[in-house]
Amino acid sequence: MDVIMPQLGETVAEGTVSVWHKAIGDTVSTKEPLFDVSSDKVEMEVPAPAEGTLLEIRVDVGITVPVGEVIAIIMREGEVIEVDAGLAGKPEDPAASKAAVPAREVSIKAANRDANGNPLSPAVRRLVAQNSLDPRAITGSGMKGRIKKKDVLAYLANGGASRTVSAPPPLNFSEDDTEIIPFNKLRKLTADHMVRSKATSPHVLQAVEADFVRVARARAGVSGAWKKREGFSLTYLPFIAKAVCEAIREFPRVNAAIDGENLVVFRRVNLCIAVDLDFDGLVAPVIKDADQMPLQELARAIRDVSERARTNQLKPGDFTEGTYTVSNSGVFGTMITAPIINQPQVAILSTDGITKKPVVIETEDGDTIGIRPVGVLAQSFDHRAIDGAYSAAFLNRVREIIQTRDWATVLS
Amino acid sequence: MAELTYREAVAEAIAQEMRRDEDVVFLGEDIGAAGGVFKATVGLFKEFGPERVRDTPISEQAILGAAMGSAMTGLKPIAEIMFSDFLAVCWDIVANEIAKARYMTGGQMSMPLVIRTANGGGSRFGAQHSQSVENWAMMIPGLKVVAPSSPADVKGLLAAAIRDPDPVMFFEQKSLYPIKGFVPDGELVDELGTAKVLRDGGDVTIVALAAMVPRAMKAAEELSAQHGIEATVVDVRSLVPLDTQTILREISKTGRLVTVEENPRLCGWGAEIASIVADEIFWDLDGPIIRITTPHIPLPAADALEDATMPSAERIVREIVENID
Repeated sequence: MDVIMPQLGETVAEGTVSVWHKAIGDTVSTKEPLFDVSSDKVEMEVPAPAEGTLLEIRVDVGITVPVGEVIAIIMREGEVIEVDAGLAGKPEDPAASKAAVPAREVSIKAANRDANGNPLSPAVRRLVAQNSLDPRAITGSGMKGRIKKKDVLAYLANGGASRTVSAPPPLNFSEDDTEIIPFNKLRKLTADHMVRSKATSPHVLQAVEADFVRVARARAGVSGAWKKREGFSLTYLPFIAKAVCEAIREFPRVNAAIDGENLVVFRRVNLCIAVDLDFDGLVAPVIKDADQMPLQELARAIRDVSERARTNQLKPGDFTEGTYTVSNSGVFGTMITAPIINQPQVAILSTDGITKKPVVIETEDGDTIGIRPVGVLAQSFDHRAIDGAYSAAFLNRVREIIQTRDWATVLS
Repeated sequence: MAELTYREAVAEAIAQEMRRDEDVVFLGEDIGAAGGVFKATVGLFKEFGPERVRDTPISEQAILGAAMGSAMTGLKPIAEIMFSDFLAVCWDIVANEIAKARYMTGGQMSMPLVIRTANGGGSRFGAQHSQSVENWAMMIPGLKVVAPSSPADVKGLLAAAIRDPDPVMFFEQKSLYPIKGFVPDGELVDELGTAKVLRDGGDVTIVALAAMVPRAMKAAEELSAQHGIEATVVDVRSLVPLDTQTILREISKTGRLVTVEENPRLCGWGAEIASIVADEIFWDLDGPIIRITTPHIPLPAADALEDATMPSAERIVREIVENID
């Protein structure tokens, strides 16, 4: 069976193989990465198109080929080949013999062991995969430090799951008081895209302040049950995304792209969610037809693409056909961010920290001051495509939806 | 609610069903005037007479052949095989005829009979009178297989077996005959193919059958008191149909499975459960499956040796403590 260079985005014509994860003769699977590919937009892992054995590699690392070109050949499952008999022998024994077994059998991988070298139980493996954890970071309470399911649950309960943003590694300055950090592939792609976007689009920033009290109440109303049922916390982001999708219906020109001297307005709302990859670059996977999703489903979709982005599990289709982007820098408590447009789109929204502030509340009996969760919604738009009044009206509508919708009912 | 022994519950169930349905008849060796060698059928001969409660010659094939013929011609016989080991001599009738009649006749014929038998060890009867053979029956398509652990289950499940339109193998564990338990008053009919959760615990799920159930319960109390390990205990009760819904749910909750089986290890019913677990809830497992069984040997008659081979509460505790982390 042919392995071909995948389509990495609607405007991408070629791709570069950056890593081969498998060598000739290795067992390949639809559940395991076969190779990494990079284009001017993304870098991603690509699994094998079928279960089988890698027979031939036709494109070496670093070589760029057109989309659709055959880059490798695999022999499909069922024939007898050589694989590592790690399961049967002692996995730590480098002299573990090779045995002829059917291609379906797989050996325990190093990643499926804990810090003490114990294998992980199926339940632990599943939890580790679902929450994108590093098992070596979890303290095991079982025999020989074995990790049990309850150890993972305790780790998650103590915040192991909520991905705390780690500080970048300390620098090692050389004698001339500098350290050279070479750009990785994703950093280069991000850098190129940012420069190109700024050079292409005249950016204008507009921001509104929104009162999130109704969202906060709705979240508080379901938080425990939601976390229990869904396995992750319900954040502010899905509410903002929902409001954006609805406002786009009334202001469709922000959901568009520029093509020469035309503004191409899209009927579908395919929302890109910008995800920061541990300071190593930025990706913006797409949630297709986000406007068709109920809030709960949108929350799950956002969680899904974010997690897959962080675990390098995005597929080519996750990068195509985006029409509007939401970027969330809120975790650090910033007040406002001027985002750079995700080309060829014409607008991008940044959500920042939502913090409690004193707010003047107008009532029939006069004004009072209350404490409300308030956050800034900042949109950069391409002034070639639309003007300030249109953008402002759109932003105002987003704010209105966030402030006036009965979110508790929407969630129930 | 009355407190009955396991053996009294056998007679109560048979009497309940014989009173209800005159097609129910009962036959076996010394079951009538003598009240059964294990005294599990006392009073039935007196109440229902020699037409419906028949003592037979010492021929297991004759007993089951007669039961099969009478079931084919409209009666609902209960046949007793005194020791389950003796099922081996009539296995053609059980495995090829009784189990297959409905299928071979394209559904024209049903086989509404129950084969009751005293099963299992612990009574110093030696290798030919002590075997736990419920797994022999489990592997024959066409048979239902029940093995109760308490007087209430004996009464309810035996009544359900008698009412079932298909052949049911009913394994009474002979060392349990003297145990006592409360049985609800009045008519009692349980449901075949249902397991029972007897104890709830978060750390490990012990799945047991028949005489191993009280031992598992004792072990669970000991684990809780001495080792801080909380065990769920599931009484399988019925091997065919097997209540996989309950059993798998309880195993998923703890992620750990321990089977406690009296049958010899090879092809014991616990192996089948382990296989189903691997098929259906592999990703819920939080550690290796532990099977505690009698070893693959003929059961010794000597007290100390028989005790050493069958799973005891102490052995269950020890194996769980040593292996569960």
